Amino acid sequence: MSLHVRTAVAAGLLAVCGLALATPRPLVAAKSRIDFSVKEMGVTVSGQFRKFEATIDLDPARPEASKAEVIVDIASLTTGDADTDAIAVDKPWLDKLGFPKATFRSTAVKSPAPNRYEVSGVLTIRGKARPIVVPLTTAAQADGGLLATGGFSVRRSDFGIGGGEWNEGDLVADDVPVTFSLTLGPAAR
Amino acid sequence: MATAPRTQYTAPAQLGHWLVVLLIVAAYAVAWTMVDLKLSPTKLRLFNYHKWIGVTVFALAALRLAWRLGHRPPPLPAGMAAWERQVAEIAHRLLYLLMFAVPLSGWLMSSAKGFQTVYLGVLPIPDALGKNAALGQALTEVHEALTWLLLALVALHAAAALKHHFVDRDDVLRRMLPQWRRRS
Ligand code: HEM
Repeated sequence: MSLHVRTAVAAGLLAVCGLALATPRPLVAAKSRIDFSVKEMGVTVSGQFRKFEATIDLDPARPEASKAEVIVDIASLTTGDADTDAIAVDKPWLDKLGFPKATFRSTAVKSPAPNRYEVSGVLTIRGKARPIVVPLTTAAQADGGLLATGGFSVRRSDFGIGGGEWNEGDLVADDVPVTFSLTLGPAAR
Repeated sequence: MATAPRTQYTAPAQLGHWLVVLLIVAAYAVAWTMVDLKLSPTKLRLFNYHKWIGVTVFALAALRLAWRLGHRPPPLPAGMAAWERQVAEIAHRLLYLLMFAVPLSGWLMSSAKGFQTVYLGVLPIPDALGKNAALGQALTEVHEALTWLLLALVALHAAAALKHHFVDRDDVLRRMLPQWRRRS
């Protein structure tokens, strides 16, 4: 019995240590943002996602071993206008009830230049997965942290975001530019 | 002949006046329709049309004001009492003020709510204010209050014009109408 407990504790400790060693830099949520903008009749309406998780493990020495995963809480969308927010997460658009999370998972990472990465991966929105390449630039921060910035464009039609009447007559642009600025804390070592 | 004393508003003044009347009527019609709709493509369209109309009214108001500063309107009928002249003068000044203030408040409200005004969908008009929901709400109330004030003033103004025409039977309304009306 006590032997079992001890093995369990030892195994647990090992697991924790192992995790700690592999832990990528933690996301500093307060200094990170994901923004997007939608254009309707020439008017750019910008918004952001307030809640998301990001696990980004960039290895400058071995870029191909780098990994990135971002999980966005759809319900955290805000444009500053309540009516717009309600529509944006409603069924024809991002459908927060049907698909509460949008995700990005890297499949391959290249580093064409120092502090630059090309992260290939799969973007999943509204349950539809599409391959995408996300360019990313890193900048070391004074506190040992790392700022990762970049952007890409989401084609609404690829994911069926905002269908039906919303697609009539070019009212709302198909391309939705997304930019991100993620602050990663100092590496846990 | 250009210096002969005028009994008529000039053609540009008349054109400016009646264009603004048409556009303001359209702006109210669109506004009252759109506010009751739930957010839809139609609502977005109407919002943009309403904003474009407002920008046009503002531009025309500027032209009208420029005209007004360069011209003296035809003298009022001799029979008008001093207080009537004063009320007409004040009402006209307020109408000018509101032709600027109503679109201006709409533009500020829109800016604060995070919706830029892009004239005719192509000409972006810079936002004067950053996104701020509370300020947007406050400006909505300002814009609404000003439109009610404008409406009341227009009602008074139109009633006065009609009174001049049908009761006093003077030429106040006719001088704001094209010449052909005058001869008939
Ligand atoms: C959108 C609504 C309207 C606005 C903003 C407006 C504005 C104005 C302004 C600012 C003036 C003074 C022009 C000047 O002397 O510089 C004016 C004059 C005049 N308006 Fe209007 N107006 C409106 C509607 C109407 C309507 C509906 C009528 C007729 C029923 C009308 C009849 C007149 C007449 C007759 C004058 C000439 C007054 C005079 O000779 O001193 N207006 N209007």
